[in-house]
Amino acid sequence: MSVLARSVGNAFRNKIRTAAVVAVLAVAIGLALAMLVANQAVGAKVQELNASVGTTLTVNPAGGQGFEGGGEPLTTTEAQTVASVANVTSVVGTKALRLQTASTTTASTGATTGTTQQAGPGGGFGPGGQQPTVSTNLTAAVDAGTLGNRNSSTGSTTQPTRTLPITATGTGAEVDSTGKALNITSGTGLGDYTAAEAKALVGSSLAEKNNLTVGSTFTVQDKTFTVAGIFDAGTTFGNNAVYVTLPEAQALAATPDELSTMIVTVNSMENVDSTKTAVQNALGTDKADVTQGQRNLETAVSSLNSVKNISLIAFIAALATAGIIILLIMVMLVRERRREIGVLKAIGAPNRTIGLQFVLESLVLVALGSVVGAVIASLASGGIASALISSNTTTTAVTRTQRGGGLAGAVPNGSLPGGGGFQGGGQGGPFGGASQLLTSVTASVSPGVLAAGIAAVFAVAIIGALVPALLTARIRPIEVLRGE
Amino acid sequence: MIVVKDLVRQFKSGDRTIKPVNGVSFELGKGSLASIVGKSGSGKSTLLSLLGALDKPTSGDVVVDGVSLAGLPDGKLTEYRRRDIGFVFQQFNLIPNLSALDNVMLPLEFAGVRKSARLQRAKELLEQVQLDPEKHARRTNRLSGGEQQRVAIARALANEPKLILADEPTGNLDEQTGEHIIELLSSLSRDDNTTILVVTHDRSLAQKTERCFRLQQGRLTEEVRSGSRR
Ligand SMILES: Nc1ncnc2c1ncn2[C@@H]1O[C@H](COP(=O)(O)OP(=O)(O)OP(=O)(O)O)[C@@H](O)[C@H]1O
Ligand SMILES: [Mg+2]
Repeated sequence: MSVLARSVGNAFRNKIRTAAVVAVLAVAIGLALAMLVANQAVGAKVQELNASVGTTLTVNPAGGQGFEGGGEPLTTTEAQTVASVANVTSVVGTKALRLQTASTTTASTGATTGTTQQAGPGGGFGPGGQQPTVSTNLTAAVDAGTLGNRNSSTGSTTQPTRTLPITATGTGAEVDSTGKALNITSGTGLGDYTAAEAKALVGSSLAEKNNLTVGSTFTVQDKTFTVAGIFDAGTTFGNNAVYVTLPEAQALAATPDELSTMIVTVNSMENVDSTKTAVQNALGTDKADVTQGQRNLETAVSSLNSVKNISLIAFIAALATAGIIILLIMVMLVRERRREIGVLKAIGAPNRTIGLQFVLESLVLVALGSVVGAVIASLASGGIASALISSNTTTTAVTRTQRGGGLAGAVPNGSLPGGGGFQGGGQGGPFGGASQLLTSVTASVSPGVLAAGIAAVFAVAIIGALVPALLTARIRPIEVLRGE
Repeated sequence: MIVVKDLVRQFKSGDRTIKPVNGVSFELGKGSLASIVGKSGSGKSTLLSLLGALDKPTSGDVVVDGVSLAGLPDGKLTEYRRRDIGFVFQQFNLIPNLSALDNVMLPLEFAGVRKSARLQRAKELLEQVQLDPEKHARRTNRLSGGEQQRVAIARALANEPKLILADEPTGNLDEQTGEHIIELLSSLSRDDNTTILVVTHDRSLAQKTERCFRLQQGRLTEEVRSGSRR
């Protein structure tokens, strides 16, 4: 019989107690692991949000945004100016176009004739001036619906029915108009985004509507484009879009140097605010509006961070509980078997053998508790993590609803012509994606996380067994043998 | 082989101090078989535990083969108990949830004997103390007092110690089995040159030992015998 066999035997000496100990340990360890898993899941999500959202600035021409407003367009020279600002990692220029299905284009723009509309209904740099409308053979994937029709009625002409336009964006890198990397689900990207080429990335719903696959062709303003890839933006609105290279879009719009928007990536979260000011100053306040992309996500990030902290505290507390349980149990066990330690010592067992025996015994108990606890954790952690996150992001959800409501309310009033209709067609673009990210936070048990948590409990168990066993072994055997 | 010098062990009980061992001195030669007799509570077990390094004396010293126990650190005392001493406790002190064989194998394990050799040796020893082979694998808390006593004796003999300290080794045994144990111990002292010191109330055992000491009021006196017993 070896030390190990003796320890395992001792661990099961009192079966009812062993079962109770394992059960209590399992609950504590399970809870600790679930908290650690939740912590990691939230942490990862915070990082993801920070990475995708937190360090992006959006530059729009002063007084204009999207298809709205007026002012002077941004230029490539300004993009270079921004690129030289400290802490700016990259500047991606985009050029937005409005694609109108050929037949309706003719009808809606009948008054001014021609396929290329440098100016919208208002003319000059009035509403829509920045985003020229060009014709295409594509059909929008989003039906106009009530909002779209109401929206279009604010124009100078009134049509009984109208298809919605499609957004075409010329982009200087493989990112969408909010700076997020495009999720290409089939095909490839456009390669060099700074060279004009008759290739395009098509949103999944638009591709479906028009039966486009990789290699298919379509026309924009009588020019034939080949579909290089299909992307999924995650929203209905986002998928009713086409991306082409920046120079191609500029050529289509016949405005070679103009940019609708610049997406500026800052090197780190801390530098975002100072860089924002620096970019604003470099361009001039009257020239451009610099906004931090999806600024209101900061609240989400900070509330997630508090969840992260809470779960970390809960993890430590549960782990400490597991530690205290095993500590007390081992102290109790060693006390109960003092006499046995005295016997072992009296017949010549070295202290390390005695220590080892009790350490092994405690490890057997903790191992059992951990296995059962890990099962509990893997069952519970997903629920715990999503419960924590969903309850804490209600504030964000409310903000989102309010903003969405604001838009929806504004559109019927006619105070927000054009752009409102776009938004009305689906969820509020960037927010749709972000809230999806938030709600999809689910914890998964990663092996590293489990190992860290269990190792900590094992360490406590070793100490809990070793210290009282060695303290007892140090006493003269006769005193221990005589008992209390 | 063992020299005891003016050994004192005192206990405090309440406001009184009692000295069950109060200035004990004696010498035992290698291979001798000696007994200690005395009234219950006279301090025999106390003296034996001092010799076995289970307890530390208030003053005085025990020198075994020229090595003073008083000067040894804890680790060396453990080694002394493991290698040089075979101790038979008055209350046996077996590990209750281990089998008789496992109990006998414990000191062998601590001495680093290979597993197969341990089992072999333990079986031999249990046969020597006449424990039924069917009881070898039985947990010791399911054995009778006398059976436990014999397992305790077998355990004490396991590492072939040079000094065996046995506290009432025949106290729970019938006459015949007791005789056998006495025979076993005397053959060890005779053939293996093992020094043996037994505490006993058993007249027949005391008479068979070469020397006999009486512990009385903390003092040890040797009973003078007319002739050698063997
Ligand atoms: N730790 C202790 N504290 C106080 N008194 C003790 C202690 N150990 C022993 N004694 C006392 O010392 C005396 C001797 O005890 P010991 O066990 O040596 O007697 P003994 O000769 O072995 O008796 P028996 O023949 O009944 O076994 C007893 O009176 C006992 O009460
Ligand atoms: Mg006694």
